[in-house]
Amino acid sequence: MAPPTPRRIRIGIDTGGTFTDVVAFDEDSGELVTTKTPSTPGNPADGFMAGIDKVLGLMGLPAGHGDAISAVSHGTTVATNQLLEGKVDRLGFVTTAGYEAMLEIARQSVPDGYGNSYFWVKPERIVPRHLVKGVGGRLDFTGAEVRPFDEDAARTVARWFKAQGINTLGVCFLHAYANPEHEERMRAVLAEEHPDAVVSLSSEVLREYREYERAMTTLVDAAVKPRLSAYVNNIKARLSEFAGERPAGSGGVPFYVMKSNGGVLSADEVVHQPITTVLSGPAAGALGAALIARVAGFDKVLTSDGGGTSTDVSVVIDGDPTLTTEGSVGAFPSKIPMIDVVTVGAGGGSIAWLSPEGTLKVGPQSAGADPGPLCYGKGGTEVTITDAHVFLGRIPPHLLGGEIPLDVQAARDGIEQLASKLGLSPEACATGILEISAWNQANALRQVTVKRGLDVRDFALTTFGGSGSLLLCRLVDVLGLPTVLVPPNPGNVSAFGLLTVDVKNDYVQTHVSLADALDPSTVGGVLDTLTEQATEALTKEGFPAEQHSFVRTADLRYFGQAFEVRVAVPDGPVDQAALDEVARRFHAEHTALYGYDFAGDPAQQVEWVNLRVSGIGPIQRPEIRRHPLGDGTAPAEKGRRQVCFEAADGYVDTPVLWRADLAPGTVVTGPAIIEEFGSTVPLHPGFTARVDEFLNIVVTRTAEESI
Amino acid sequence: MCTSSTGVVVTPPTATEADTASRRAPTQFPFGHLTADAGASADPVLVEIVQGSLASVEMEVETAIGRTSRSPMIRDAHDFRAGIHDRLLRKLTGRSYSALVHPVARDFPIEEMREGDVFFHNDVYRSEGGIGHLPDLCVTVPVFAGPEGERRVVAFVQAFGHHDDIGGAVPGSMPSNATSVFEEGLMVPPIRLWDAGVPNRAALSIMTRNSRMPESLAADLDAECSACLMGARRLGELFDRYGVETVESCFDAIIERTTTTYRREILSKIPVGEWVWEDYAEHDGVDEPMLHTQRITLTRTAADDPDGERLILDFGGTSPQAKGPINHCGDYSDGVFLKKWLAPILRNLADTPERMAELDVNEGIVPLIEMRFPPPGTLLTPVFPAPTNARTFVILRLLGVLAGVVAKAVDGRMPADQETIRYTGVYGEDLEGRPYLMREVLGGGSGGRYYADGEDTIHVVPDSRNLPTEFTEARFPFRVESLGLAMDSGGAGQFRGGLGYEKHIRMLKDAHFMSIADRSILACWGVKGGLAGRPFQVTIDPGGPDEREVDALADAEPIKAGEVVRIRTTGGGGWGNPLDRDPELVVRDVVWRKVSPEAALADYGVVLTGSLEDDSLGHDAAATQAERASRPEPTEAFFDRGPGYAHLAAGAAAADVDWL
Repeated sequence: MAPPTPRRIRIGIDTGGTFTDVVAFDEDSGELVTTKTPSTPGNPADGFMAGIDKVLGLMGLPAGHGDAISAVSHGTTVATNQLLEGKVDRLGFVTTAGYEAMLEIARQSVPDGYGNSYFWVKPERIVPRHLVKGVGGRLDFTGAEVRPFDEDAARTVARWFKAQGINTLGVCFLHAYANPEHEERMRAVLAEEHPDAVVSLSSEVLREYREYERAMTTLVDAAVKPRLSAYVNNIKARLSEFAGERPAGSGGVPFYVMKSNGGVLSADEVVHQPITTVLSGPAAGALGAALIARVAGFDKVLTSDGGGTSTDVSVVIDGDPTLTTEGSVGAFPSKIPMIDVVTVGAGGGSIAWLSPEGTLKVGPQSAGADPGPLCYGKGGTEVTITDAHVFLGRIPPHLLGGEIPLDVQAARDGIEQLASKLGLSPEACATGILEISAWNQANALRQVTVKRGLDVRDFALTTFGGSGSLLLCRLVDVLGLPTVLVPPNPGNVSAFGLLTVDVKNDYVQTHVSLADALDPSTVGGVLDTLTEQATEALTKEGFPAEQHSFVRTADLRYFGQAFEVRVAVPDGPVDQAALDEVARRFHAEHTALYGYDFAGDPAQQVEWVNLRVSGIGPIQRPEIRRHPLGDGTAPAEKGRRQVCFEAADGYVDTPVLWRADLAPGTVVTGPAIIEEFGSTVPLHPGFTARVDEFLNIVVTRTAEESI
Repeated sequence: MCTSSTGVVVTPPTATEADTASRRAPTQFPFGHLTADAGASADPVLVEIVQGSLASVEMEVETAIGRTSRSPMIRDAHDFRAGIHDRLLRKLTGRSYSALVHPVARDFPIEEMREGDVFFHNDVYRSEGGIGHLPDLCVTVPVFAGPEGERRVVAFVQAFGHHDDIGGAVPGSMPSNATSVFEEGLMVPPIRLWDAGVPNRAALSIMTRNSRMPESLAADLDAECSACLMGARRLGELFDRYGVETVESCFDAIIERTTTTYRREILSKIPVGEWVWEDYAEHDGVDEPMLHTQRITLTRTAADDPDGERLILDFGGTSPQAKGPINHCGDYSDGVFLKKWLAPILRNLADTPERMAELDVNEGIVPLIEMRFPPPGTLLTPVFPAPTNARTFVILRLLGVLAGVVAKAVDGRMPADQETIRYTGVYGEDLEGRPYLMREVLGGGSGGRYYADGEDTIHVVPDSRNLPTEFTEARFPFRVESLGLAMDSGGAGQFRGGLGYEKHIRMLKDAHFMSIADRSILACWGVKGGLAGRPFQVTIDPGGPDEREVDALADAEPIKAGEVVRIRTTGGGGWGNPLDRDPELVVRDVVWRKVSPEAALADYGVVLTGSLEDDSLGHDAAATQAERASRPEPTEAFFDRGPGYAHLAAGAAAADVDWL
């Protein structure tokens, strides 16, 4: 008898603060399995391996069958959390002589309101002034050398950092985006004099002009490098051991890490550009939701990922999440391209409190998972959003399908106390807390669309994550949204998203030139160089040449503007016609974004600023299966309970449905509560939920005539 | 000077009736409430939702303007603001300053406004004090709500932005030697720019015809009008959702809570009594440098005062109006613009910097402040057509005058002085022969606080940014050889003032340098024993054969290719006696190149040991103690204005008002 064909299973694994979410995909049968395990913050690799073990077991493989794993994609918050917690180890900064105070000066702006400059206290700089050293040598903006690199000074600086025991260094010289030579010579000197140093060069992290932002991005990259490398290498080693022997030269089981730009990169490469992982988790969620919504027939989608402490929202058009290079993580700016995710301080643990003015506020402070909401009974002392939900009956009195009971009485006591301070009934207080939270989310969703000149009412909303769907009916009402989509397994959308993304690397080169003075062959040459770099990386990742694809873009502006607009460069050779086409696209995109352009005005010259190439290595995406529609009859109720939707209407007897019982085609009319493992959809009166053939719950307002 | 003399005097002046006495500025629109109980019965949940929505609409309007406007001053320097006002013209939002709706409501009765109307004005003397100079173009849109047939004005969305050119004697419409407003550009009193949705083409073409940048003027106006109309629709939806009365009750609650909060957390910090202080602009662009006095007499009334518990700010003693453009029209509509402009300074009295940042300044502060103005003809009460384009010399300084007079009342628990706005630039032809103008607003150091040192190189306008070297070198024919901090520029103190910039620009081609700056003779003052910072200073060819100083008001100083321009901006004033500063912090400041070793000894009495070069810098504690003990008692003046004061004050070391 022939040995059975070995199975090929690809795994997406998203490590969050509380849970590690796992999705496994059988590349041959198309079977998709999801699960969760507790995260292990002490050593995240333990939770990671436990998750792999568990999901393989669910796929019917006996324990230890790591050889069935064809690839693993991982979303991590190691770098994110390090930055959010501000746990940056001692760093050194090497810059051009004369610019040693760059971090003290920053961009001179004071956050928030007028008058704050009088009392604002600047946060600590990422590198204190005495750990900044200048080195002579100067380039101009074309990359030409104005003064030679001061090798002696470089050596002195390298020895000094070694003597001080500073082993993590960022290097940013003026105009290094145009010519990396001085930075590379600095690295060579460091390699000789201070071989233990971990070094990030600005010309490798971000070849883009604006020295302060590039320096900060480089320093953030250096800051997270030691910890992220150790983490990734540790997991890679454990995974290789688990997955067993692989053919020589294959480099072991393919292990990818999710990047903020919506692509993945192999573990071997990602340790050299750790800053690209800072929004790993939210990016995977946005991508997963985007794919699910697209398959369900929605092209313009807002995603809303609600967790324990916050909710992440993003805009997706035609399956592509919008990207930004103006992002930041905690106090640290990052100019690396990342999916434009806006975080609102509205999650299950967000605290309701009274301001000194006597106003009821909700968030952004959170009780987190520990001590957590009052109803967790773990020592929480403040009313949270989860307490309001459980008090009103919107969520069941237990978590995760019954594994963890909730203390409803504790929630009630807290809400009654808060309500008496406000002179409200407890129901009005609890619905009020949720209403304020819904408006906070609604305002964030409005702002992400207005920023791009879009109208929020043209979008379908996709809600997922543990708390993402709880207020969806209120969001429909407040924002005037046509539709909300709740994907199946809403707690695992980020892990699912990890299975849907290609390998992607971004390369950028600032090349400032007026369009009139631009030589097509120069542009072609720069793009070719960037494409070569991308090709080399894709080949290293194991993609044969015929699978490589490249996206070429350019950032243009009108001469005199201080901001750029990104447009695609047509495929094929770069000739004058191609340049003209880019300019045409620029005018059109400028109008789309800002409402005007200067296409017909010869006095307004177009200027090219950055050239970009993304190298993409495609992977096989799991197919979202279509299920036959049933006859639409509602299934048996799992139970009924008293739920309060409107304080004025009090508690109403409400059916509770189990989501897994809802066949495609089922239509449910509110009021109803739809529960599943780790997530709940409260369907308010006046709303209708329909299960589509991809098992999504699609919520709309009940049509007038059918009420 | 009051041009709207038909206004109703709310409270008769309480001072003795004499021609020289200060008086309140009459207003047609006294402060009041929309609901009988001033919002006391508003639903606390709705109050929070309404307040969050107002903040969101304001941000959406500003985002839309930022997206679609075209002037660099608006787009890059963020010199624009939106505001939301109710039908009593009260400002509801509080992150920033804004213009007033009063001039629009004065000239166009609210009952006669129609949906789709857009009002426009930039005329300083017809703005009720809400517009300071002509380049600030202001658009006002009424918000309508209510059932069909009964729709009426319920609020206003307003925005103003600093446009790059509105005509006048010079490009940019800010002639530093103007002697009348007619040299400063086109004045437009309140007009109905859109009539029920129809733009007035004639008005638009007159305005664009008068600008050197007609296309971007038109685009900026479009941006402001469409953004405000969008905001008005959004706000209208809020009224339609909850009902006009309910939302107006929330407005009352929002404003009443600000009043209560300021009474509880701010007013309570100032004892009952009266204090006086003054500060100065040093030149006006026309006359030789002199002291242009701005004076405030601050009275804090008792809780049982018949006219209420409040602060009275009397500007009597302020200098006559200047010939040059540093005047500000303040004495209109009961001074409500200046009240909201100055009130943010009072936030420094809150308990912690975090709490200061939380406090909004909306119309709720108005009942707590009474303003009294000197008779027409002063810096704050200029008579038409006195020029005003550089009025920041006065209104920014007034922030400091208020900080200083309050400091006298609260034993110095206020920040020392800062100066963060000035224009510097170079212009000429670039290497390809194209004309260029590089103009930038460089900030300065903030003053020391009783809880922290001042911060280096910051700016008072939120989001205003400096220009990256990698941007300017690609655009203009110069090299920024260094961009650093001006060592020793921060005033010495127990809490040191923040440092100003030291920027070295080497020209690659012959060019001209320009500068519009105050505080080049006088310095940012220190308080409670803290010393003044260093003033603004521009030097061409420092250390070279042609070294020369440039005046702070310079239109066209020639610079040769190869020469370096060194710009040093103001350091903030120090707070508290520098001899009380922790010597370890002085050592750190020397290591950080913020204080020179010489100043460590001279200003702080710290005897250093070791050397900077081999990282062995430290201090000798015993010698430092002896050194400090040997110093004479410090002067008893509560403020230090720096050596420049004597230069303009006939040798006096301090002003009469500088003593407690």
